[in-house]
Amino acid sequence: MKNRYLVGGPITPILVSELMTLGNDDTGTGAVSIFIGRVRDDEAAGRRVTAIEYSAYEEMAGKEADEIVRTVKSAFSDVRSVIIVHSLGLVKAGEASLFIMVTSGHRDQGTRACRHTLEMVKERLPIWKKELF
Amino acid sequence: MDISVTVLYFGAAEATTGRKEEEFLAGDTASLRRQLITRYPDLARLPFRMALNRTLLKEESVLQKSDIIAILPPFQGG
Repeated sequence: MKNRYLVGGPITPILVSELMTLGNDDTGTGAVSIFIGRVRDDEAAGRRVTAIEYSAYEEMAGKEADEIVRTVKSAFSDVRSVIIVHSLGLVKAGEASLFIMVTSGHRDQGTRACRHTLEMVKERLPIWKKELF
Repeated sequence: MDISVTVLYFGAAEATTGRKEEEFLAGDTASLRRQLITRYPDLARLPFRMALNRTLLKEESVLQKSDIIAILPPFQGG
């Protein structure tokens, strides 16, 4: 991984299973809420997207992601950890490009915090995409 | 006084300028913005924000030596 938030290429099932073990030692966690974003084969001007190439302002992305984690943790007192991983480089249609995991004591705050994290990622992470056909 | 600063281009701004980074002489971000549009008129059609030293700029700011300004088109992560 390029930093704790960015990984080169798709977020593979192996990486997902590794990420899911984070916080396993925290026995106060009763809920794990996960969002996975995948590249969709959208159609544009009669052509289908086959892959997306992601780029980022990596130094700023790390700083902003730190801030998102801090904000979510302070807004949801039951949240115990927030994990954000976004792809850089080439990700094919059908592959995952974003992973968000929130662990919490109970389900309610966890699921809401996961959604909130997703919206902040889209709004604040300096990441750009180039659609390939 | 004009200061030498580094400008980084991302996303569509990189495609528009054909560059990843470049040096400019400018005293503040407003002056830098004007220079950017003069040099790359197509940038005016691209909505972009600026970050000063990795922090999104909320208002125009005076520039210091070695400042890094990033040109940020709308984010597209997710």
